[in-house]
Amino acid sequence: MIGSFLGGLFVGSIHAGTPLLYATLAEAIEERAGIVNLGLEGVMLMGAVAGFATTVETGSAALGVLTAALAGGLFNMLFGFLVITRRANQLASGLALMFCGVGLTALLGMPYIGSQIKGLNEIPLPFLSDFPVVGPVFFNYDILVYLVVPMAILVWWVLFSTRWGLSLRAVGENPMAAFAAGKNPYILQYQALLIAGFLGGIAGAHLSIAIAKTWAEWMTAGRGFIAVALVIFSKWHPLRAIVGALLFGGAIALQLQMQARGVPVSPFLLDMLPYILSLAVLAVWGGARRHAAPASLGRVFQGTE
Amino acid sequence: MSKKRSNFGLKLMAMVAGFALAVAFALPEASAQQAKLKVGILHIGSITDAGYNQAHAEGVQLMKKNLPHVEVIEIENVPEAADAERVMETMIKQGAKLIIPASFGYLDPALRVAKKYPDVKFEHPGGYKLAPNLGTYWASTPEAFYLMGIAAGRTTKTNKMGYVVALPISFFLANINAFHLGARSVNHKVETRVVFTGTFLDPPKEATAANALLDQGVDVLGVIVDSPITVVQIAEKRAAYSVGYHYLGVQKFAPKGWISGIAFTWGELYTRFAKQIMEGTWKSENKLGNLASDYLTIAPFGPAVPGEAIKLVNAKKQDFISGKAHAFTGPIKDNKGVERVKPGEVWPMTLLGKMDWLVEGVIGQPK
Amino acid sequence: MSSAGRALQLKKGKLASLARFGGLFGLAFMAFALVLLVFGKNPIRAYADIFSSTLGSAYGFSEVLVKMIPLILTAVATALPARIWLINVGGEGQLYCGALLATWGALNFNNSPAWILLPLISALGFLGGGLWAMISGFLRARGWVSETISTLLLNYVAILLLNFFVFGPWKDPESANYPQSAPFPDAAILPAFFGMRVHLGAVYALVSLILFYLVLSRTRWGLEMRAIGVNAEAARRNGIPLSRYIVVLMFIGGGCAGLAGMCEVSAIHGQLRPSLSPAYGYVGFLISWMAGGSAVGILAAAFLLAVIAAGGDILQMAHRIPGSVVNILMALILFFVLARKAKGR
Repeated sequence: MIGSFLGGLFVGSIHAGTPLLYATLAEAIEERAGIVNLGLEGVMLMGAVAGFATTVETGSAALGVLTAALAGGLFNMLFGFLVITRRANQLASGLALMFCGVGLTALLGMPYIGSQIKGLNEIPLPFLSDFPVVGPVFFNYDILVYLVVPMAILVWWVLFSTRWGLSLRAVGENPMAAFAAGKNPYILQYQALLIAGFLGGIAGAHLSIAIAKTWAEWMTAGRGFIAVALVIFSKWHPLRAIVGALLFGGAIALQLQMQARGVPVSPFLLDMLPYILSLAVLAVWGGARRHAAPASLGRVFQGTE
Repeated sequence: MSKKRSNFGLKLMAMVAGFALAVAFALPEASAQQAKLKVGILHIGSITDAGYNQAHAEGVQLMKKNLPHVEVIEIENVPEAADAERVMETMIKQGAKLIIPASFGYLDPALRVAKKYPDVKFEHPGGYKLAPNLGTYWASTPEAFYLMGIAAGRTTKTNKMGYVVALPISFFLANINAFHLGARSVNHKVETRVVFTGTFLDPPKEATAANALLDQGVDVLGVIVDSPITVVQIAEKRAAYSVGYHYLGVQKFAPKGWISGIAFTWGELYTRFAKQIMEGTWKSENKLGNLASDYLTIAPFGPAVPGEAIKLVNAKKQDFISGKAHAFTGPIKDNKGVERVKPGEVWPMTLLGKMDWLVEGVIGQPK
Repeated sequence: MSSAGRALQLKKGKLASLARFGGLFGLAFMAFALVLLVFGKNPIRAYADIFSSTLGSAYGFSEVLVKMIPLILTAVATALPARIWLINVGGEGQLYCGALLATWGALNFNNSPAWILLPLISALGFLGGGLWAMISGFLRARGWVSETISTLLLNYVAILLLNFFVFGPWKDPESANYPQSAPFPDAAILPAFFGMRVHLGAVYALVSLILFYLVLSRTRWGLEMRAIGVNAEAARRNGIPLSRYIVVLMFIGGGCAGLAGMCEVSAIHGQLRPSLSPAYGYVGFLISWMAGGSAVGILAAAFLLAVIAAGGDILQMAHRIPGSVVNILMALILFFVLARKAKGR
């Protein structure tokens, strides 16, 4: 009994956590470069609708994911133009981006409501998925799920072990200093936003092509904002984001699992926990090391940017 | 430099303002033709959702086909909030004389607008309050769900059935209860699990809920949300059976696992509404249809349903229609052990709005 | 320069910036027209319909005002703390908490007459939003968490809290188990005027705007706030109680948003429901930002965005475009303002 509960919870957390993790990685990259993108929700939506539409038209889920990544990247470039080239207020630009995404995708997605796709199918891992009981439950996911943790590790490696990542983080700490050291902060930030846009688009695509296999207006339902919270929760670190995404995804999955088992707990109180936890984590640990956030980002949060 | 810029800005602004004003006042009204009746319908979602909204939309289209002089003003994705009132008023200002606010949550806004415009008629699906110019209608679905239960109870292999439901509204609870009772009447071992997503439409959440149920060993998935596509698709993918709702066209999403479904075919009913208004014979009442009505349709059975189950279903259907049988005949206990219907008594369809409990054998929280 | 000359310069400057904004709006409108064209719709017709349905009739205009009320309040909620560079993105959550506390009052004192109940729930609404924002203020004053982050996170918690009450303890037993509270007693409903939906909340909005302007420009507090805004450290060293300002301004700002929540639940819905606010808190943030914290700017921006939001219906009804597309127009306006404003720095 406990086994099936934990198993179901694990599976549910992975399903719910995967798009969250992709989105969190996207936002983490952006924020490491010193840019807050509150419009991640819009980027995800663009990916979701572009991916779904492409899959409907071409029948290929792979093409759909690719298109989603491209759509997300391009959409984020719009944001980039505003906050990098025009040095516009990041928070306002992000919110504007979100609203734009919601409206634009409603328009773009209109002909695709009610369409049917085969979508991304699960790929049972050979050998591992043959384990009795555990196998089919734990090792039977679609390709985007398998790729997400490697992606997180890749992002971590790039940010912390490559020169590019170092330069990016330097820009996030102090763009002027980075500039003085010979880096071009603008190019670096644009690159960060492009990659983040790819990841955000993929996150959205996972929702529409793999999980729900359908399109509905505003189907991300706030997951983009959750990712912003998740980045904070994971202290801007890609590896901690894995845990965070699992936790947040777990909260979503937990309350549904609880219901399926007949446990009387209010789903809303449960859903609150991740956010309160984030605040607590920050209050307790963020205070001591006041600059857990990249310094330039901190200035955005302080309003002096 | 800046003077030039601000001059340009001024000119631009003046141009745009003047242009807009000219156009606003110069263009004639949108609708110039004479229609005998204008009907306004508000949808909570998209009319291509293969579900709740599409059923209403097609009903209105059929009405228009039957009555060519009727004009339809249709608007989708109206949130169940303050905006609903404004949308209704705008439709009325455009001349609508019949408003169909097609979502549960539009009831209170509709009642408010109805008070302001006593000469406009409203027909609200699933409502439970009336006004002199606001009537309600619905098809009493529990009996249909009972039939679904019979079919499902004989098709399930694991004896575990599940329902993904939007909200624990009484009418939905009644449906689940009837489903379970029907299944139990042909299979004593069944249990039904219910998961509420908390909202009428959230495909990723519905997917997670469906998967959670399937993880529990459920092999029959039913759904009560606005668009059944997500749940039915997941059932089909994981080789489970599915029971549809709202719209007949959903069957194509589950060619193998489809058991049956309950669909609303509102067209003739809407035609009747329009005719009554045009002839002046409309009156405000709560119209509760049943299996014999033309707006409640049972979908064709899928290949997995055994023939004897189909026979049982048809027999029971006749009993319901003739009045020999009822969905909620006592004794019935709820899933907390409280007796809700005494032996020999029947929970009347008119009291469905008060059913805030789930039947024994259903695992779920109707909170 | 003579004071008359200075005044003239100020006037010219204001006119210039007005013209600049007008030009930007015009560009945004044209860009949106392009979007419509791309999707095969007639933009001229669309704009005509938007204007005539919102400004061309008394009812339409009243609906614009109805939307302006919460927008002005949430804008002030952001603009006030912004004076000392506090970023309040939590208008949404504060709105919800205001509605929550106001509902508690309406449901528990439902036998009181209107002249007691209305002021009571108004005060409760203000208190609800204010206390919620004060959490963030406190966390920031202690240097623990940036208010940008905490207000954002608390938004989600507030919405979940409302859902909890409306699905649980406060669910109306008479409404078929549907998640909404019992309807407010008549005494708790903000009266409306002229048979339209414009309600007493308009007074709240106007008063808060006027007070916002007066306090900032005419009082000693306003002076101290400006000092903080210029150089917080120096101000603090000069004896200005920085922490107190942080907490108090967040409280008052949150209170305004809370009032918006109370207005929505009392005057518009008549009961508490999950679908209380169509992102008023966030739009208010954008308005405050666009207006640069100026009271007149807030009024104008709120008006413009209210027209756009209210115009969405007609687009759907007459042109078969999803109503959500007005978000694109709003975003475009913001994009142009954002792109332009930054360059001026």
